[in-house]
Amino acid sequence: MPSSMSQQILLSPAELSYLHTSLSSSPPIRPDGRSSTQFRPLIAETDILPGTNGSARICFADGTEAIVGVKAEVEKSRARYTHADEDGEGIVEEDEGRGLNEWVELCVEIPGMRDDDSMPVFLAAMMSEALLADGEFTRRLYINRRFHWKLYLDILLLSQPSSYPLPLLSLTTHLALLLTKFPRLKSEKDEDPLFDDDWDASVFLYPRSSTKSFDRPPVTLLVMSVNGNIMFDPSKEELSVAEVVLAVSVGERSRSEEGDMVIDSGKTRDLRLLAVRTIDPPSRLTHPGVPNALNTATGGSAADTSEKASGQRETMAEGSVWQPPRGGAKRHQIAAMIQKVLEQGGVAEEVMAGLDGVDLG
Amino acid sequence: MSDRRRVNGPSGGTHTPIFSKYLAKDVKELNRPTRVRAPNVLRKMFLKTGVTPSASGSAYLEMEPPRTRNAIGPGLASLSTSGLKLTCTVHGPRPLPKNAPFSPHIILTTHVKYAPFATRKRRGYIRDSSERDLGVHLETALRGVIIGDRWPKSGVEVIITILEGEEDQWWGDDRGRGSISAGEWGMMSVLSGCITVASAAIADAGIDCVDVISGGVSAVVRGSEISDRLSPGMLVLDPVPSEHEEIVSACIVAYLPGRDEITDIWVKGDIGYGSQSSEDNPSYEELTDNAVQAALGSHRVLVGALKETAALKLAR
Repeated sequence: MPSSMSQQILLSPAELSYLHTSLSSSPPIRPDGRSSTQFRPLIAETDILPGTNGSARICFADGTEAIVGVKAEVEKSRARYTHADEDGEGIVEEDEGRGLNEWVELCVEIPGMRDDDSMPVFLAAMMSEALLADGEFTRRLYINRRFHWKLYLDILLLSQPSSYPLPLLSLTTHLALLLTKFPRLKSEKDEDPLFDDDWDASVFLYPRSSTKSFDRPPVTLLVMSVNGNIMFDPSKEELSVAEVVLAVSVGERSRSEEGDMVIDSGKTRDLRLLAVRTIDPPSRLTHPGVPNALNTATGGSAADTSEKASGQRETMAEGSVWQPPRGGAKRHQIAAMIQKVLEQGGVAEEVMAGLDGVDLG
Repeated sequence: MSDRRRVNGPSGGTHTPIFSKYLAKDVKELNRPTRVRAPNVLRKMFLKTGVTPSASGSAYLEMEPPRTRNAIGPGLASLSTSGLKLTCTVHGPRPLPKNAPFSPHIILTTHVKYAPFATRKRRGYIRDSSERDLGVHLETALRGVIIGDRWPKSGVEVIITILEGEEDQWWGDDRGRGSISAGEWGMMSVLSGCITVASAAIADAGIDCVDVISGGVSAVVRGSEISDRLSPGMLVLDPVPSEHEEIVSACIVAYLPGRDEITDIWVKGDIGYGSQSSEDNPSYEELTDNAVQAALGSHRVLVGALKETAALKLAR
């Protein structure tokens, strides 16, 4: 990731300093005029590939585009070492409806990158970890004790990754999974599975319920922070001055069993934090600026040795010229970023509401 | 799906036979390792620098293996428990090759590899996705610490070999089923060890850093062999996955004690909602704070090892 990202940052130290200053003012002034929690406009299309169980395409206004296709196959489950005596029964019941992580295969393809490059590997790991975090997802793939669905999630980025493509890929995957349908099962219990060949009778992987809130696949959001200002869905230029970048995965769970309590509490969604990861901000790889005092072209005097030069650079007052950030993030900073995602009326709720607006066919 | 250019054999391999005698009715007999430490006590750690003379910096880290409560039982190889054993070598800083483009910073490359014999299931020679993932995490953790602009046009390689890995679950729970929940919990302690050992090796190589970084893990675990019902989650530091029946969520941080900063954080599992904490489900913030406490624990060992190194180098 860093090697490929660093080549893409073509901003001078002066430009970076300008960006940094405007993003750290309050409220932050973003280059494209968005507010700090606003996302870039996008076009979403669903059910575009007839050969898949579920598919989606999302196109951002800056031209990045992703397609996700979900394919399912019936696969024989691995034999389990259970035993038929009275003690074994407990274990068998517990196993009922449990899924394994290996039933899901997630693959990310990014043009211009080998499939063993660190970026696709990192993205795939992040998204599958969110999907598998609470063990609820693989439970849906269970058919009976001998068979299960094997789900292949193929995520294709069609354009060059102009910014960090994580939110785009995650939203597209979310839509594709929401639309994924399996043929209806006709056989019973542990028989060889037999399916209804009527596609209209197929069932959703994430069944819709009449209430507004139902289980949803997770969404991974990218959050960045500059000087304490928290911003969502950063563009490439904004990332190049970021101090902290976090990927936060959020899932939603249905609250049907609680019934009336939902209305009382006034909370509409039961959001759950599933995974958090820091992402190496590309700002660490930017060129540092040279202050006038050290620049012979502007009447300054260059240091004699490289040790002196770095010594002078590092003791410089903050905010004079651009310096790539050093060190990590404060604990309360990270907590504030996560809070901003999850709080009531926060960004995650807004994103989920926005995804509700997509016509699901 | 890491290697598509070759036709490889099946990845799964075959299972070792499990005899019905050991699928016992009473699992207690089978010596499930249990946590004998208090929840806030870390495993004993051994850290030594300068183990590889040919590298510019190196370190070796070992964690105490988990103990079974009653050591009697069948002396099978499959019943043995292993601690974590890591070696790290740092090569550089050295000049970049002539054809490389100009870089104002040191170029950091991290390489994490399990030895083929490190885990119960054999690992191949080609790095798989989890090893690459560990490498990316380590790189994120280290890049914030190294003062990179003191070495323009140069590169440094951090290579970690995992000689003995952490298990993801107790072998007796793996009845040919594979992992169920988020899985791969062993990776968290491995990464924490990687960060600590890499930090020691970088200090041994004499690369300038803003602070000494150390890794720490905390987890919410549930269940013990005593109760059948769902017990409330409990926060533990430095978890050994084979000692717990279920790990609900875990967190690893790379922490800079001097600056009170985190360069890498990785949380996964069913963490629950935001900052509200209930007895059953500790919140995200508690999880991180405990991971930081664990990191402070390994920091003490790290500082001790580095003092030894310094004394040795000055005496020479």
